[in-house]
Amino acid sequence: MIRLGIRAASPFAAVVGCYLLFAGHNNPGGGFAAGLVFGAVLALRTVAGFHQPTYGVALVAAGVLVVAGVAVMPLLWGGPLFDQQVLSVEAPLLGKVKAGSALPFDIGVAAIVVGTVIAALDGLGASEFAAGPPARSDGGERE
Amino acid sequence: MNAALLLAVGGLTAVGLYLLTGRSLSRIILGYSLLGHATVVALITAGGPAGWPPIAGQAAPEDMSNPLPQALTLTAIVISFGLTLFLLALARRQRTLSGDDLVEDDLEDRRIAAAENAPTGPEDPVAT
Amino acid sequence: MIFSLLVLHVAVCAVLARAGRRLGRGSLLVGAVPPACSALWGAARLGDSQPATADLTWVGGLDLAMTFRVDAFAAVMTLIVSGIGVLVLVYAFGYFGPGTAHTGRFATTLLAFSTAMLGLVWADSVWTLFVFWELTSVTSFLLVGHKSTDAAVLVAARRALMVTAGGGLVLLAGLLLVTGAAGTTLISELAPVDGAGAGATAGAVLVMIAAATKSAQVPFHAWLPGAMVAPTPVSAYLHAATMVKAGVVLVAVAGPALSGIVAWRGCGIAFGVASVVWGALGALRHRDAKLILAWGTVSQLGMLITLFSVGTPAAVLAAVALLVAHALFKGALFLIVGEIDVRAGTRHIDELGGLARSMPVAFAAAVLAGLSMAGAPPLFGFVAKETAIGAALGLEGPEAWIVGFGVIGGSVLTVAYTVRFLVAVFGPGPETPLSARRPALSAPPAVLAAAGVAAFAVLGPLDSVLAPAAVRLSGGAAVGHLHRWPGLEPALAVSAAVLVVGAIVGLAMGGRPGQAPADRAARWTDASIDGAVAVGRATVARVQHGSLPVYLVTMAAVATLAATPFLAGISLDHIVAWDRPLQGVLAVTVVGAAVALCWVGTRLGAGLALGATGIAVASVFVVHGAADLALTQLLVEAAIVVGFVLAFGHLSRSFPMTGLRWRAVRMAVAGLGGAAVVVGLGAASGNPVAAPPLAELAAASVDEGGGSNVVNVILTDIRGLDTLGEVLVLATVALGVQALARPSASRGSPTP
Repeated sequence: MIRLGIRAASPFAAVVGCYLLFAGHNNPGGGFAAGLVFGAVLALRTVAGFHQPTYGVALVAAGVLVVAGVAVMPLLWGGPLFDQQVLSVEAPLLGKVKAGSALPFDIGVAAIVVGTVIAALDGLGASEFAAGPPARSDGGERE
Repeated sequence: MNAALLLAVGGLTAVGLYLLTGRSLSRIILGYSLLGHATVVALITAGGPAGWPPIAGQAAPEDMSNPLPQALTLTAIVISFGLTLFLLALARRQRTLSGDDLVEDDLEDRRIAAAENAPTGPEDPVAT
Repeated sequence: MIFSLLVLHVAVCAVLARAGRRLGRGSLLVGAVPPACSALWGAARLGDSQPATADLTWVGGLDLAMTFRVDAFAAVMTLIVSGIGVLVLVYAFGYFGPGTAHTGRFATTLLAFSTAMLGLVWADSVWTLFVFWELTSVTSFLLVGHKSTDAAVLVAARRALMVTAGGGLVLLAGLLLVTGAAGTTLISELAPVDGAGAGATAGAVLVMIAAATKSAQVPFHAWLPGAMVAPTPVSAYLHAATMVKAGVVLVAVAGPALSGIVAWRGCGIAFGVASVVWGALGALRHRDAKLILAWGTVSQLGMLITLFSVGTPAAVLAAVALLVAHALFKGALFLIVGEIDVRAGTRHIDELGGLARSMPVAFAAAVLAGLSMAGAPPLFGFVAKETAIGAALGLEGPEAWIVGFGVIGGSVLTVAYTVRFLVAVFGPGPETPLSARRPALSAPPAVLAAAGVAAFAVLGPLDSVLAPAAVRLSGGAAVGHLHRWPGLEPALAVSAAVLVVGAIVGLAMGGRPGQAPADRAARWTDASIDGAVAVGRATVARVQHGSLPVYLVTMAAVATLAATPFLAGISLDHIVAWDRPLQGVLAVTVVGAAVALCWVGTRLGAGLALGATGIAVASVFVVHGAADLALTQLLVEAAIVVGFVLAFGHLSRSFPMTGLRWRAVRMAVAGLGGAAVVVGLGAASGNPVAAPPLAELAAASVDEGGGSNVVNVILTDIRGLDTLGEVLVLATVALGVQALARPSASRGSPTP
């Protein structure tokens, strides 16, 4: 029952996370909050016995690359570190969409946060839950 | 400065310190978290009076709360989050190794102290 | 040039440290190269009136810099330090026979010492001087303890280190006070300090005490005779010619600035006169030839300290002359004793005999050096002692009596122990069997002894070198000249009387059998060192007890005390009860949740209470108008609570109990700590700065950052670099946590 609920709620939570990520620059939200929401989804799914993600460190590495890339990118065209580039696009439906280089920065931050949460799940022993309720007792005995 | 929040900071610090000086690793982590709370509230309190969220266009600048300490605080929250996670992982590791979460005495320090008190001199305590 | 020479020294040191084992005895000769270069450079600078300077700034605002200045006096010292250094290294080549172990290490350390000593005499900044001062203490310790397998050697080395390094600490304190009073850290810029300030007086006394420890003045002298367990090249170089002169050099260069302070002169004269007499008496009583010389050194150093402390131009000139003369004759005598030690296998005067016939070169050199030490013409020592007596006779008031007693009485005793030394070592007696001659052993002392004669012969040019040095050390006053033959003056009559009386005493003492005196001073020194070590151990045992909670409580208590001064800064005008009434309610909730967290007895409950506290804090943020913070705080709190339950869910449900008294202590410290934070923040609020630039921030956020959430723009753009560092912290945490998650890595496979 709980698993069903979590399974149903996951997509919505993911949408909330995405909203926070994209809205963060103009409204409350941002990379950290988004990352934590994604992380919470993954943590719940793990504890509830779904598959436990193992790509934590890889995600952290990718996030660090993105963040560092955004930081040094402006140096390529002679700007200062972290110079903000704003791209403004007239999209159909959405009207005027603005996307600055803060967005990839926030995405990188979110990736690092999610990666950290995944690593923490591993470090705190969530794997005992990951195999699902039937296997849980076996896991307990192994411990 | 805001006396109510000031007292909240003091209370959080006091309880945090009390827990931090305990012997159980789980309480130490709790104390550490409370000290983190005390710090972020202190930062916010010192940053100025309450106001509207600092979002340009939604509030007049003079009605906004000060955004700079908020940014600093956000950093503080995230860092203390990371360190708490790390402490939790350490505690979990300790648990798998010793089955408990007590902070043991530093045996090396104990040994030195015992050796210095012993009248025989510092040569042979290694054997004990 | 100064830096090039220092770099050369250090580079050769490094090479010897690596290749010393392979080079063996040859490393002593390699090590002689840098001092030779320095000696040549020093010799070339002797007549130069323009000082050479060099400096390397480290922290400009704090006057922290390596500053060197080679003036007339430093050039003379350079020649002594490096010239004798070359001779001693060559001598050591003979002293250590082929195949002796650890000669590479010895050469390295000796060269390192030589470098430190050069740095000391070249230093202009007092901090540079201090650093090299300590380096000489350390290298001296290593050299005294060269034969590190012998327990007596280790005791002597420890004594030398503790006394001289303890003196170094005193020096640091003294220099801080003196430079504070003088307003400069450059020795060359030290203006004469009047005796007005208590700080300057205390500083001057401390500097003088430091000089007394380094120059082995009574009552700190015990380490110097003890250090005679070192190989003879070390004794000759460090404990006769150079290192023990460091204190004298310090008194000399600080003299112009400090000699106006009565306490400085009084202290210096007291140390000096006491050492002159006590050292000479020791030299008359001991029966080990090397110890006789060592005690004689204590006496001679006392003479130097006395003369430099008096500080009149005549006294300073005499002191400079005596400094040079002492380096020559005492270096020579030590090296001769070393040669006797090596070839006869003993240096006890009761076991030596007939050496005048069997070691003619050494005998001749010893007579020349000894007569110079006694102050007999036609040798350089005569000139020095003559000038010293003249300076003492030129004083007035009570100082004249004390200094006169020290100089004249000391001279009589010096003649006496010199005569006793020569008679006892080289005089009649059963022939002592000797091993084969080694040229490297005989040549250096002969050179030094001959230099005493040569210095007398070419006194004119020498005077033109030493007089500028003395001018520099007497603050620019005219100092007169050294005379080969002073004419029929009172000083000459006194000098003649000194020689006659001293010779009679010396001859009377010379053949007398007796027992060497027990060394009480050394016992007292060792006892006080042991006492200090015991106190240190007891303190460590008490403070370093190993309990983490106690450490933390101690730290918290001390940090709390640090907040006390802020109590006065609290201003109630800047404190309001609350901005919004809701804040009061939330503050109570936060503290209540935290206290509940304390009371909850189970881990699960504690985790939930932690979550409650976090939510209350998030509400505080909401009310404050910090929406981003509230959101992040809530999410973080949820994650932490889950993590807490995951990490501790398996443990027994309740916390372990601790003793009641300890709990009371913790509560008291915790309460005080909380109060201290409140006090600190309250005091900080008493100094409000300008209002935050809200409008500018909001405008910049939209225009430059391209976003209207100011906090987010600050994080991703304005303070982007900080955020980068912060996420790197998170990344590190992720790696660490992941590493901790692999339990089998360290437990499973046994390490090979």
